[in-house]
Amino acid sequence: MNQPASNQHLLRRQFLGLSTAVAVGAALAACGGPSTSGGSTAQAAADVDFSGVKPAASFDFWSTHPGKSQDVEKELIAKFQAKHPDIKVNLITGGADYEEIAQKFQTAQAAKSGLPALVVLSDVWWFRYYMNKSIIPMDGLLKQLDFKLDDFRETLVADYGYDGKQWAMPYARSTPLFYYNKDHFKAAGLPDRAPKTWAEFAEWAPKLKAASKARFAFMYPALAGYAGWTLQNNLWGEGGGWSKDWEITADSDANVKALQFAQDSVYKDGWAGVSSKDSADDFAAGIASATLSSTGSLVGVLKNAKFNVGVGFLPGGPASQSPVCPTGGAGLGIPAGVPKEQQLAAATFLKFISEPENTALFSAATGYMPTRKSADMSTVLAKTPQIKTAMDQLAVTRKQDNARVFLPGADQEIAKAAAAILTQKADVKASLGSLKGKLEDIYAKDVKPKLG
Amino acid sequence: MSTLTENRAFTRKNFAATLAGGYVPLILATLVVFLPLLWMVLSSFKQPGEIVTTELKFLPESLNLDNYREAMTTVPFGQFFLNSVIVTAVGSTIKVTLAILTAYALVFVDFPYKNAVFVLILVALMVPAQVSILPNYILIAGLGGKNTLWGIILPGLGTAFGTFLLRQHFLTLPGSILEAAELDGAGHWRRLWRIVVPVSVPSIATVGLVTVVSEWNDYIWPLIITDRPESMTLPVGLTLLQNSESNGAGWGILMAGAVLVILPVLVIFAMLQRYIVAGLTQGSVTG
Amino acid sequence: MTILDTAPAPSANRPSPRARRGWSPRRRRDFLVFLAFAAPNLLLIAVFTYLPLINNIYYSTLDWTLGSAEATVVGLGNYLTFFTSADAPRVLGTTALFTACTVGGSMLLGLLVALALNAKVRGTTFARAAVFAPYVLSGVGVGLVWLFIFDPGYGVLSWILRAFGATSPEWINDPQLALVMVIVVYVWKNLGYCAVVFLAGLQSLPGDVMEAAALDGAGGVRRFLAISLPLLSPTTFFLLITTMLSSLQAFDLIRIMTPLGNGTSTLIYEAYLQAFGAYNRAGYSAAISVVLFAILLLVTVLQLRFVEKKVHYA
Repeated sequence: MNQPASNQHLLRRQFLGLSTAVAVGAALAACGGPSTSGGSTAQAAADVDFSGVKPAASFDFWSTHPGKSQDVEKELIAKFQAKHPDIKVNLITGGADYEEIAQKFQTAQAAKSGLPALVVLSDVWWFRYYMNKSIIPMDGLLKQLDFKLDDFRETLVADYGYDGKQWAMPYARSTPLFYYNKDHFKAAGLPDRAPKTWAEFAEWAPKLKAASKARFAFMYPALAGYAGWTLQNNLWGEGGGWSKDWEITADSDANVKALQFAQDSVYKDGWAGVSSKDSADDFAAGIASATLSSTGSLVGVLKNAKFNVGVGFLPGGPASQSPVCPTGGAGLGIPAGVPKEQQLAAATFLKFISEPENTALFSAATGYMPTRKSADMSTVLAKTPQIKTAMDQLAVTRKQDNARVFLPGADQEIAKAAAAILTQKADVKASLGSLKGKLEDIYAKDVKPKLG
Repeated sequence: MSTLTENRAFTRKNFAATLAGGYVPLILATLVVFLPLLWMVLSSFKQPGEIVTTELKFLPESLNLDNYREAMTTVPFGQFFLNSVIVTAVGSTIKVTLAILTAYALVFVDFPYKNAVFVLILVALMVPAQVSILPNYILIAGLGGKNTLWGIILPGLGTAFGTFLLRQHFLTLPGSILEAAELDGAGHWRRLWRIVVPVSVPSIATVGLVTVVSEWNDYIWPLIITDRPESMTLPVGLTLLQNSESNGAGWGILMAGAVLVILPVLVIFAMLQRYIVAGLTQGSVTG
Repeated sequence: MTILDTAPAPSANRPSPRARRGWSPRRRRDFLVFLAFAAPNLLLIAVFTYLPLINNIYYSTLDWTLGSAEATVVGLGNYLTFFTSADAPRVLGTTALFTACTVGGSMLLGLLVALALNAKVRGTTFARAAVFAPYVLSGVGVGLVWLFIFDPGYGVLSWILRAFGATSPEWINDPQLALVMVIVVYVWKNLGYCAVVFLAGLQSLPGDVMEAAALDGAGGVRRFLAISLPLLSPTTFFLLITTMLSSLQAFDLIRIMTPLGNGTSTLIYEAYLQAFGAYNRAGYSAAISVVLFAILLLVTVLQLRFVEKKVHYA
């Protein structure tokens, strides 16, 4: 057996050595990580001028293939290649979801290597890229390519505007949609439409449950990643919201009322459930008679459901019946830190896939919104008439609250608060109060200093 | 007479006791392990309609390979498989070799600071892999190792765990066998391969298998350093099957993917479990 | 059981530590041999384990947003924030709970399974391999399989519960239940390892001790508690340390089953989320990693100290 004393001695000596190594390493480390000199590298902020730049021969396009769009993305790339044989597009799966692609993109940004020239970014991520100067403004590229925005649906483009510049372009854009099981509604003797208000649905729910034998009359969307988005509808209907500009209003009386209603629908009245993964699947399986889900789920639901699917606008509340529908989904951004030639090549491709017939093609394959007003949707609508409702609802959408989309991590905090309220029966007022504190903290720590 | 009845009662009681104390717990433990895996295999044959349904169906309607086909066409599983095999084979071979060499040096070569070196190795065991992701990414990407198999393999090659286990084993070898060799004039290299390695086969097999398993299952590093299917390994490719939307119906496909990832390890384990179990056991008792 | 025992070097004329002055040709040769054998491995460990560790300590002193090219030095600010905010009790609490439950659960169940495996009946070899199997399976694959089992909508568990008229708990949405779910799966995956190691310990116990106890007429349970368990203490201690270290570093299952870490943010997962999840606080994340590293180191040092002192005489 050894004497413990010598071990201790050994360890102490080792730690001394280690701390010397730390000092040496700190110097070494400085070359790999970020710069702490404070001298700003303003390459992203400057309005980059692209005149005289030639598009690169190839570039990487990172996508999550939203709405199972890998095939249609490949189709669009093939079409593009036929027209521009000199620009090769490498389609890369950047991640399984918006969070994963963001993780990979930020890691690549930190390492300043392996960056794509075009990246899918969700509604909650683009602003962070803007703050970190990870994406460039589109304005210079739009000018260079004579890429006009007036035929785009205004709200979809306006979502990516900040500081007088355009930071991304709409791609797989969606809104939530009210899905209902027509057969269940008929069996319950209800009108064949979405409810006008949540109060109306609360009256329908017991009848629906009794007549349909489905487990729930309504399924709340999975909280992770969706709660902050779809609950905007409930809050706005009551006249509330997550924030007003930068002022966090998470625990307002209107919000408390809206979420108390939601909690009661789960616990007191027992007609609603909370999805664990994807409420569109639960709905398509017949577990619930109605749900809210992204328009991007539409094509999938129609394929999987063995009943007649109805869709409608989101229900309103006592304070507001319209607009109570948030926009959402993903856009495409052009990263900073890649050569101008690649950025231009990426923008050329972006312009191409935004053309009316191509956005119609993408829309038909997924159910996402066509981004152009002049997109010819007649063949699509003949096949999937429900997309029309989604398109009409676009006219009555509202921009999401800053707190959800502009605060890093806010979506997760909102989801946690919603989980406490809807699955743990936590006190609504208290949960929203602590949520407010967290959101204010994020704003003060991660956002305010960067907005200058 | 009375002894006879007593004896029989005793036997019956004994039998019941054997059953309760011997077989029932064994069967229970085995079932707890097997049922989830059985469920995975059964589900991998089920169509979306059999999973997303309002009534439970235990058995799939048919042994339909659609999910496997779907899993293998949505993502290039063949390529993932090949990558995993290469990464595992190359990575494990080098790691085990390095572990043997280092452990030998730590035990049988005279060097005044080797305990200090050993402490450094021990501390390295404590560094969570997650800590090194970002620095290693910066380093490997800078060397051009992104989306390459060597980029996946290289950062994990230094092996603290294998060195630790083998050192503990080498310490138990009687010094006499080496002294004889030394007197014969055999150098370290020959002593290592002629004497130490042959008598340590079970321990080396353990380290080898544990290394193979951890290389095969490694997830976070390959996830970060690859983004092209051509260079992804199986666990990373498996998560690629998960899509952001319209997912629940995809359980069958995911289970098919899980089978493809889990089965090879299970087969290797079934063939070589004797070594793994025996070796680990030895490691724990001696070390 | 000595971790730092000096090697039984074969050379008869091993110099005593005090005599280590100057480099005789033999010592020089030995040093070169040592280098030739150990250097590649040591170099790799230095570059890919120690250098990142040092980098990480450096990052922990920065206010740095992942993806940003600039950062400001904040000294110990990140540590201060962690320990004074609500993050510390939440994350440390989750870590303690997860570690205690997984270590306790897999050791206790592992011991019971080991006792079952130690029975003199046929089929133990097969059962031993079977219970060990989950330990070698991919965390990603296992996580997905169990996620499907637990799924409140379509999981087989929800069907079983419904058959008894109960509704499935919210395994995924409810943070507390999510933690329970991950713990259960973690224990399932690791108890076989504990069982096999315990079994080895049981089988290395001297047979006459057990027989003597049996002849004394002591009951099975009492016999076990009074005689076998104390003799198993080296094995127990070995397992306690190794399972604790791996529990503290459990990542794959948590990542696959609860990607957002709702209720399951242990130190390692919180560090991951802070940097690569939604928050992008790379400096803060590095500080949490350093805290985790310090805890892991502490556990190891305790092991080094206690292994010799306690275990053998207990």
